[in-house]
Amino acid sequence: MTSVRFEATELTPAELALQAEVREFLAAELPPGSFAPGLGMGAGRDPAFSRRLAERGWVGMALPGRYGGHDRTAVERFVLVEELLRWGAPVAHHWVADRQSGPVINRFGTEEQRRRFLPPICRGELSFSIGMSEPDAGSDLAAVRTQANRVEGGWLVNGTKVWTSGAHHNDWFIVLVRTSQEEDRHRGLSQVLIDLRSKGLTVSPIPFLDGTEHFNEVELRDVFVPDELVLGEVGMGWAQNTSELAYERGGPDRWLSTYLVVQHFLRERSGELDARAVALIGEAAARWWGLRQLSLSVARLVDRGEAPAAESALVKEMGTRFEQDVLAAVQQVTDLEPSPQAHSLFERLLARAVLTAPSFTIRGGTNEVLRSVAARGLNA
Amino acid sequence: MTDPLLLETAERALSDTCTHEAIQGAERDGWAPGVWAALAEVGLPWLAVPEAAGGMGGTIADGLAVLRLAGAHAAPVPLAETGLLAGWLLAGAGLRVAGGPATVVPGRPEDTVSISDGVLWGTAHRVPWARSASLIVVLAQDAGAWTVAAVSTAACRVEAAANLAGEPRDTVVFERAEPAQMAPAPAGVDGDALRGRGALTRIALMAGALERLSRLTIEYTHQRVQFGRPVARFQAVQQHLVTGAQEAALVVTAAQVAARAAEQGPAGFEIAAGKLLANRAAATATRAAHQAHGAMGMTQEYPLHHLSRRLWAWRSEYGDEHHWSTRLGAAVAAAGADLLYPAIAGGSAVLEV
Repeated sequence: MTSVRFEATELTPAELALQAEVREFLAAELPPGSFAPGLGMGAGRDPAFSRRLAERGWVGMALPGRYGGHDRTAVERFVLVEELLRWGAPVAHHWVADRQSGPVINRFGTEEQRRRFLPPICRGELSFSIGMSEPDAGSDLAAVRTQANRVEGGWLVNGTKVWTSGAHHNDWFIVLVRTSQEEDRHRGLSQVLIDLRSKGLTVSPIPFLDGTEHFNEVELRDVFVPDELVLGEVGMGWAQNTSELAYERGGPDRWLSTYLVVQHFLRERSGELDARAVALIGEAAARWWGLRQLSLSVARLVDRGEAPAAESALVKEMGTRFEQDVLAAVQQVTDLEPSPQAHSLFERLLARAVLTAPSFTIRGGTNEVLRSVAARGLNA
Repeated sequence: MTDPLLLETAERALSDTCTHEAIQGAERDGWAPGVWAALAEVGLPWLAVPEAAGGMGGTIADGLAVLRLAGAHAAPVPLAETGLLAGWLLAGAGLRVAGGPATVVPGRPEDTVSISDGVLWGTAHRVPWARSASLIVVLAQDAGAWTVAAVSTAACRVEAAANLAGEPRDTVVFERAEPAQMAPAPAGVDGDALRGRGALTRIALMAGALERLSRLTIEYTHQRVQFGRPVARFQAVQQHLVTGAQEAALVVTAAQVAARAAEQGPAGFEIAAGKLLANRAAATATRAAHQAHGAMGMTQEYPLHHLSRRLWAWRSEYGDEHHWSTRLGAAVAAAGADLLYPAIAGGSAVLEV
């Protein structure tokens, strides 16, 4: 049998109650018109909002209670996250810490690291970036060259990380570094925790194609990392990093990036929908419904203690393609010149989405790489 | 949850009898007596029909789970028609199911069937296996009221026709045909409800066919060696394998969720969305599977066509993409932007389609 497993699941009454609670919170906290909604995980940054969310127990909710988390399940986090993203809520401040840094620290970190990092993450205070990509290591992450050399009490790190979203705002990042030269390039890698304000560390913006600034280059020159900030085992960075990527894939952030474009299309154009537009809305609703069911079933697998790497890759590949397809479909039925300065919110969202859409199938692993990951789960 | 024992029984009966030769023979002869006999012996055609109406009992989800297996085996028999469709109509109208294969008039726009003075007139198109069924069940209007009529095949004229997979889709002519049984349809059962129920059966059949299509393609590409290695090692071919697995996963999941919703009520949202996804998958997944198989997939001797041709045929039955996208889109648009996400997440619990 094929080794990918998806089994339809449904929300329990308790999970549905959480959904209602989140909806109520968002309607009160961020009423439509009171904020500029963002496109999925590309939404804005608002540390105050992240803290209020944390006060409800909704940041780091799946982390253990003894570190400030709330022992909730992956499905409960799914329920929260889909509501936040479809609302366009400003999640950027806590996003990476909540989705992957926190879980990875909880899984591989020492007791001391957990006590140090997880409580402020769960309070919505401490923010993280991702330190994986380099100028010569994108899809081929095993090619990382950022070097950590042994010194007394720790490591000296030298190298350059790129495409580091939010590095100019965030507090820390988990960095994939080479701690030894081995014949097999997948060996000799390690993960370290580095303060983004460290001595010897320079953050330089790489302006995004639409002029926004969230991308950065991070240069590390003799940055000292004490032993207590090595995450997990020295030399096990590849396996740890792979499991970190699994947290990044398959969730609602991989199929909701253009949801608000369609919702606001419907809101602003409902009086003038022609047959093609009606059919488009039907197609989009069907595919979102189906993708959501698949993605939800991945969250259930996680809660059963499984590591659905191939399943996550399948969903992310399909979901991100759909994010782009539905955008193209909306453009086909609207005769307008998208403008980021338009008066209409729909048109502004459309313009933003058109400009950023190519990144959907690149970030968090290109679709080409994801297909290879998924194919490994499809054995004869 | 469907009893695993039931699924095991069904799987055994299907894998024992749905051989390559049996499926080829059914296309040639219009009937697969061995397949039918094996399924009938364990009562599977009457699954999900209440025992009080002469059925085997069991839930809709049970019936659909068995149909998914039947789709995977390309079972060339009216399994969906006899139980989940004819049995549903008969039992709902307080009538009893009979022992042999039964079929249902799906209700094409070009049909002209009517009931008056207790007899049937007109022509019905695309009736599955009408020539081999002992009973043809019709849902038609009698003086404006939806009525279920069961007509013995001997009382009609049947003209043979087939779908893209060579499955019988006959034309049935009623000329003053006297029904063996007739009763008013229960509330909520009309042409629209039949189309939804029919679509539900096709989603399950297509889910099974897509799973098998994916599996067959994975196996073939791991065996087929070109340029000195199995073609499954090529990234360009892996892309086709991933496409097939994605579409199968999407439709299998949709079929399961729709089955669960159908236990609770009309499941209009799930049926519309599920059939739409299944129809799209029928196009996307068969293209990928055929491309990965090369010329071998284009032959009668290799079983890929048993699945791909059925998927192309079932895609058009009980509502094509245009029908379901328009219907779902109209309901979603009418509900408005604020209900868009609640409907996506909640389906028919939130939005009636």
